[in-house]
Amino acid sequence: MALKERYTPSKKETQFLDTVQNGKYDRDIITGLKKFMEGTVPQDMHGFYTQDELNAVKALDGTTRDVQARMPVKITRHYFEQAKNSKAIQTLVKASPKETYDLDGAEDPGKQMTYSPVEGLIHKYELGLIYVASTCSAHCRFCYREELIAKKKIVREDGTVAPKGLAQIKDIVEYITEHNHLVDENGGRHPETNRERLREILMSGGDPMVLGNKNIAQWLSALAQAGIENIRIGTKELAFHPKRFDETFFAMLDSFHEAYPRVNLRMMVHFNHPDEALLKNPDGNYITDPSGGLTWHPDTLAAVQAFGQRAWINMDNQSPIIAGINDDSNALRILQREMKHNGIENHYFFCGRDIVGHKAFNVPIERAWQILNESQKGLSGVEAHARLSITHYKGKTEVAAVTNVPFPGVKGGENGVVIFKLIRSVADAPDRCKVTIVGRNSEAIWFSGYDDRVIMDEAELYAMYEIPTLSAIAAE
Amino acid sequence: MTYVVTDNCIQCKYTDCVDVCPVDCFYEGPNFLVINPDECIDCDDCVEACPAGAIFNEDDLPDDKIQFLQLNEELAQVWPQITDQKEPLPDAKKWDGVAGKLEHLIRKALEN
Repeated sequence: MALKERYTPSKKETQFLDTVQNGKYDRDIITGLKKFMEGTVPQDMHGFYTQDELNAVKALDGTTRDVQARMPVKITRHYFEQAKNSKAIQTLVKASPKETYDLDGAEDPGKQMTYSPVEGLIHKYELGLIYVASTCSAHCRFCYREELIAKKKIVREDGTVAPKGLAQIKDIVEYITEHNHLVDENGGRHPETNRERLREILMSGGDPMVLGNKNIAQWLSALAQAGIENIRIGTKELAFHPKRFDETFFAMLDSFHEAYPRVNLRMMVHFNHPDEALLKNPDGNYITDPSGGLTWHPDTLAAVQAFGQRAWINMDNQSPIIAGINDDSNALRILQREMKHNGIENHYFFCGRDIVGHKAFNVPIERAWQILNESQKGLSGVEAHARLSITHYKGKTEVAAVTNVPFPGVKGGENGVVIFKLIRSVADAPDRCKVTIVGRNSEAIWFSGYDDRVIMDEAELYAMYEIPTLSAIAAE
Repeated sequence: MTYVVTDNCIQCKYTDCVDVCPVDCFYEGPNFLVINPDECIDCDDCVEACPAGAIFNEDDLPDDKIQFLQLNEELAQVWPQITDQKEPLPDAKKWDGVAGKLEHLIRKALEN
């Protein structure tokens, strides 16, 4: 048997890696519903699912509407504690037959496999996304990485079918080195794709924070050594098990920073709802902190503050707007205020993707925009940085505005228009900030909901599919 | 919850599981591997990776293998951690699928 050829760290990396200690974590994870059904979960968790709820999910096991096969059910002790007092969090983490009522939608609307040159890597923009873990400490029911986490087989570009694999350090380092070498040789742009250097890598999954410190450290130093300037870690662990961010973890980061002082870390955190971070009083209300803002769970706050003390680390929050969880402008207002107050930038809110098994979570685009816009009334300018993003095949797009003033003579125009702004395209950015204007459709959950009402298409979000504007149709 | 290595690993010890485990929660004896239940994060990756089909989700353990849950927990406390894949035991293929392998388990910790 040939053993896999492993990445060999340089002397500098090894010196750093020798300092790293793994911690021990008691996440007290409950996976699956069996223990709930048999009543063998801890006493205080017995009522988390009612018998009816369990029966309804169980009835779908093994059918085409199998909820547990779609996404394994998983919760940590910490998240259960926060969920006890929050309907929103319960909807986020509890399996429900609603998930598979409507199985319409695309398999891969972001066409992720198109941008995967190496197993476990998605190369879009100047950013590479790598899958480094195939699970999280708990599972969001609305997760769209289900093919990775539930180990589904997917069709590759070459037509083969296999489960998505994780990134290997050796492959990724070789790809980065080769790409950046070609770019440098060619005067700053890749000769074929026109992309710039890979400067930034997002470690994703699953959740990289389920990995041990040593494993994370190997990635950090290998990426730094390969010339990556900014490393992102996409994680929901601050919500699922904030004690993961312990002394051993920060000692590892400090040691990494000492070895690679010019490499930044960008923690892409994931809070969907303030109930994930805040404490409540017995009446179910948030508790004012006399020293400012609202009272956070002490473990979550300690982790956020430990990041905040390190100037080379940024924290950004991103969240989709999901039906039954955070389609609530008051909750989003508090979320944005509390994030910024504690040093976490509000980056993007997302429209949910039009994926199979997601109908129960989709909020229509126009409604999502209205909720976010309403939530940002009463926020200060710096608190209201977040934009509503929707991922077009062509690139990252902003839902910039939804108007209420009638635009007569076009389909949907009697209610106003929606303005999409292309933030950037996938390889480079020649079309940055071009816009597309469509007549309104309050039920649309994806771009396709506007195919018959395109008014103006400077960004060519529709032209690329040969969908004409209304004026072009009229001229024929 | 946790995943559990059961009898068909004994005398084979392929170690493919070690290569895929994201949290390095495998511990190694002379002719068997075990999972530390406190460190396992339930990712399911090792189940597919094991050429001997020896690894089960705790909830899916067949009745005659229930004892391995405790055995994994116990041996993970005394055996050293294994983080890199290595060659399987020389007669791995021959032993794969042989019944009653538990009697061949060597509990003594590996010498370094």
